[in-house]
Amino acid sequence: MTILIEAAALVFQPQVILVILASAAFGMFVGAIPGLTATMATALLVPVTFFMDPVPAIASIVTATAMAIFAGDIPGTLLRMPGTPASAAYVQDAYAMTRKGNSEGALGASLVFSAIGGIFGTIVLMTSSPVLADIALKFSSFEYFWLVVMGLSCAVFVSPGSPARGLISLFIGLFAATVGIDNPAGVPRYTFGSIELYAGVQFIPAMIGLFAVSEILRSVLNRTEMPAVQSGGGGIFKQQIANIVKYPFQVVRGSALGTAIGALPGAGADIAAWISYAISKKFSREPEKFGSGHVEGLVESGASNNAAMSGAWIPALVFGIPGDSITAIVIGVLYIKGINPGPMVFINDPQMIYAVFIVFLLANIMMLPLGWLAIKGAGTILSIPQRTLMPIILLFCIVGSFAINNSPFGIVLMLIFGIVGFLMEENDIPIAPAILGLVLGPMLEQNFVTSMIKSQGSFIAFFERPIAAGLGIATLAIWCIPLLLMLVARRGKASDDI
Amino acid sequence: MRVTDLTLGCLVILAGIAIFISAIDFTVIPGQSYGAGTMPRAIAFATVGTGIFLTVKALLAKGRFGLELEEWVFNRGSLLRIGMILALIVFYIAGAPILGFAPTAFLILIVAMLVLGTRPLIAVPVSLVATVAIQQSFGKLLLVPLPRSDFLPFLW
Repeated sequence: MTILIEAAALVFQPQVILVILASAAFGMFVGAIPGLTATMATALLVPVTFFMDPVPAIASIVTATAMAIFAGDIPGTLLRMPGTPASAAYVQDAYAMTRKGNSEGALGASLVFSAIGGIFGTIVLMTSSPVLADIALKFSSFEYFWLVVMGLSCAVFVSPGSPARGLISLFIGLFAATVGIDNPAGVPRYTFGSIELYAGVQFIPAMIGLFAVSEILRSVLNRTEMPAVQSGGGGIFKQQIANIVKYPFQVVRGSALGTAIGALPGAGADIAAWISYAISKKFSREPEKFGSGHVEGLVESGASNNAAMSGAWIPALVFGIPGDSITAIVIGVLYIKGINPGPMVFINDPQMIYAVFIVFLLANIMMLPLGWLAIKGAGTILSIPQRTLMPIILLFCIVGSFAINNSPFGIVLMLIFGIVGFLMEENDIPIAPAILGLVLGPMLEQNFVTSMIKSQGSFIAFFERPIAAGLGIATLAIWCIPLLLMLVARRGKASDDI
Repeated sequence: MRVTDLTLGCLVILAGIAIFISAIDFTVIPGQSYGAGTMPRAIAFATVGTGIFLTVKALLAKGRFGLELEEWVFNRGSLLRIGMILALIVFYIAGAPILGFAPTAFLILIVAMLVLGTRPLIAVPVSLVATVAIQQSFGKLLLVPLPRSDFLPFLW
């Protein structure tokens, strides 16, 4: 109880509340602009958080992300231009509702159910994290090795496109993580005599390049102007009570599934929204109505995407392994702040962890009034043309990359990774595995080399401890099951041909 | 600008080989068989494996070597805009230490906005306000040592 009061004291300070409000406005703005994702909002926010205390820094990221994920629904609903990949899952229904003159009903549903999903995910995060942290205290390098490999494997298999392309992305990230002097032998690797590279590839400029600069490059290639906004309907909150009464099971299922998918290392809100929409349609009594302005899919996947955002924090806080690209960024921020995510943070900094939980609840509750304002002001946000906005975002990227180490080298890195990110996406190579590789690379190397030294080169030792064996088998299953399914499908096709 | 699966597979194999060769000379931890080269070598093996998989798959599908050029590659406007963004970043790296942050940032914004099609009547005031806002928030409020301009001392 004392810890909770201390945590609340950390959060309920004028400076933190102000940061939360400003970040909420920022997240709403970025999320509402088509093409700018919640991850990009986080990437652009990081250089600013660098100058904050840990609690406001994390609070700003949590709030901006939650708001951006919801706000992604605004252009999707009003213009059929999903603001984030998660919103794309149910954009057909949301836009069809707008065409029927009920845009406020659609946006109200995504707002209210996003908040419900977010609160559900936070409660799971609050209750499960300390228990998991107790278990994680017993982990050695073998368990951590498997956990990292499992996270990276999930990132490869759940990323859009083929697993082979996901692997290429992962290896780009892992290779970038090998640069520098921080390795088991302590010798410079791939530094080419540059003192700047001794510290390794700085994570923040690399990420700003991969996500934000590549997005700017793509947006200047395809100059599309936004159509006029049509909005209206019978009130934002009015219809939602009826939706809660009509679809209670869908709300719980979406929230639970979203939390579980979010907690899976490598998966995030985007995947959660798509899977939840598919499940909602599969088990609906009215599947034929999906796609024509039916609110059921919106209710379930709206709850799911924000629940996933909270769920992704479970592995990030407990094991120091990010659940998605946003928590990968957050782990970087926590390290910069001198806080090492993992089970020990629950012992060393419990107030800090509970403060994060309170911020989650606060962000999801505040989403309701702020979301209402955003829906009402959507016309203004969406009227800002990309041709004016993108140069300003470019300047933010430049300043943000410079601010990390106060060195132009950050901008050089941003430029290189911007081009790499652009080329990757042109070739359908997903970016998220590269980010996870860059973040988890040092952890993978350290635990692998430590384990090999401990076991004197024997791979059997990786399966000798019960939890390590369980994690190892689960990881091998992640790799083998898709291959087996592919073989079975091919054999089935061959026998059909005969 | 998309490379075909066969080309991608071969490029990935070459990248894996290059990583392996580059890691040969990395030293080990004294008294151990593992060290700085362990991880790069593991990445190299996995990269070559992925490349072989992609190549074999492409060969089975009768894929070809080459580059599939998309529409934007033939569009001068698109090439100009993408080149401009990259050139403006390079211009900042080279120009900011000489001109200072504010003039460089203003030039970047105004050029980018005009090339992307914003009307001058909007581009000029927006660039000016954005430059001052970013300079004041990062340079003054967050104390980021952005390059100063001696002829604009009132900004600092």
